[in-house]
Amino acid sequence: MSFRAAWSLTLRKGGLGIRGIHTPGSTAHGKEKMPPYTNYHAQRSYPMPDEPFCMELNAEQRALKEKEKGSWTQLSHAEKVALYRLQFHETFAEMNRRSNEWKTVMGCVFFFCGFTGLLIWWQRVYVFPKKPITLTDEWKAQQLQRTLDMKGNPVQGLASRWDYERKEWKK
Amino acid sequence: MAYPMQLGFQDAASPIMEELLHFHDHTLMIVFLISSLVLYIISLMLTTKLTHTSTMDAQEVETVWTILPAIILIMIALPSLRILYMMDEINNPSLTVKTMGHQWYWSYEYTDYEDLSFDSYMIPTSELKPGELRLLEVDNRVVLPMEMTIRMLISSEDVLHSWAVPSLGLKTDAIPGRLNQTTLMSTRPGLFYGQCSEICGSNHSFMPIVLELVPLKYFEKWSASML
Repeated sequence: MSFRAAWSLTLRKGGLGIRGIHTPGSTAHGKEKMPPYTNYHAQRSYPMPDEPFCMELNAEQRALKEKEKGSWTQLSHAEKVALYRLQFHETFAEMNRRSNEWKTVMGCVFFFCGFTGLLIWWQRVYVFPKKPITLTDEWKAQQLQRTLDMKGNPVQGLASRWDYERKEWKK
Repeated sequence: MAYPMQLGFQDAASPIMEELLHFHDHTLMIVFLISSLVLYIISLMLTTKLTHTSTMDAQEVETVWTILPAIILIMIALPSLRILYMMDEINNPSLTVKTMGHQWYWSYEYTDYEDLSFDSYMIPTSELKPGELRLLEVDNRVVLPMEMTIRMLISSEDVLHSWAVPSLGLKTDAIPGRLNQTTLMSTRPGLFYGQCSEICGSNHSFMPIVLELVPLKYFEKWSASML
């Protein structure tokens, strides 16, 4: 049994004095539990909870539930929708609706990336020591020449891409 | 040595290293296949409209995903063991060279015929000649004859070091009080660079190894000149 179902069962027997929770149209807020601590737990992976959404029904709603015990073809469309709303908090479409949260998240991510970029820039200017002489273009060219002269990695690596006859890179 | 924008291993200079390259290609391909399959399945999981996610019976797929990884592991293990045993084949080396690791340089001894020994220190950056490789060049290179099997005996005089030359597929720990052996056979002449591969103190990154593989005649001339 899913965790949620077990949780609702435990709450029910917990003797916590549970009364009607979500009662559209009702103004009595006695000992009812505030969200999110209710018995109604529906999620995409457990879409039919054991308890209905509205526990406390007024007279009109109770009459409707009696009518539901008969043939469903007798119910009008509005009545069916009302029964659905008694049983469930949201429709699948409402439950699965998109939100704009991703924009906030991406905005914060980019902000922190930018801030980190600034930190790194500051670090490059004020903290890092001088680059060694071997990273100048002249030295790198001489190094490349030396590597080609000693035929370093001649099979598939660097020297294999140099055309020794024509003294240029292979096309 | 390594070259800019290199992605894989350095080119092999010995048959064992060639075997290792091919084995790596084989294993990496398996790893890529598994990873892309897993990534695809994760993306499916995240974009499904289905809602039933609690445990269901799945005997068939569980059998498959137990048997299939076992087969894949066997397909990795067999080539691996083959190369491992290939490294230990009897090959009758023609020359024995001993190398001792110190803090922070290597010393080499060629004692088969005469007593030839020397130290090999890294050349500091300020003393490099133009075009030399920073942190890789040494004052005395290890000259060896190419296309001949050479036995290397490796040990240490103080702390742990490791004698490694990637293009020949060599890496052997230098352990004080212990003699480790590895065999070396290069198929082409040239300079082959390596670096100490076991943390040994402050200058661990600054005790490289450079092998100079030359034809036998040049080796004989060199060893005579070094005595």
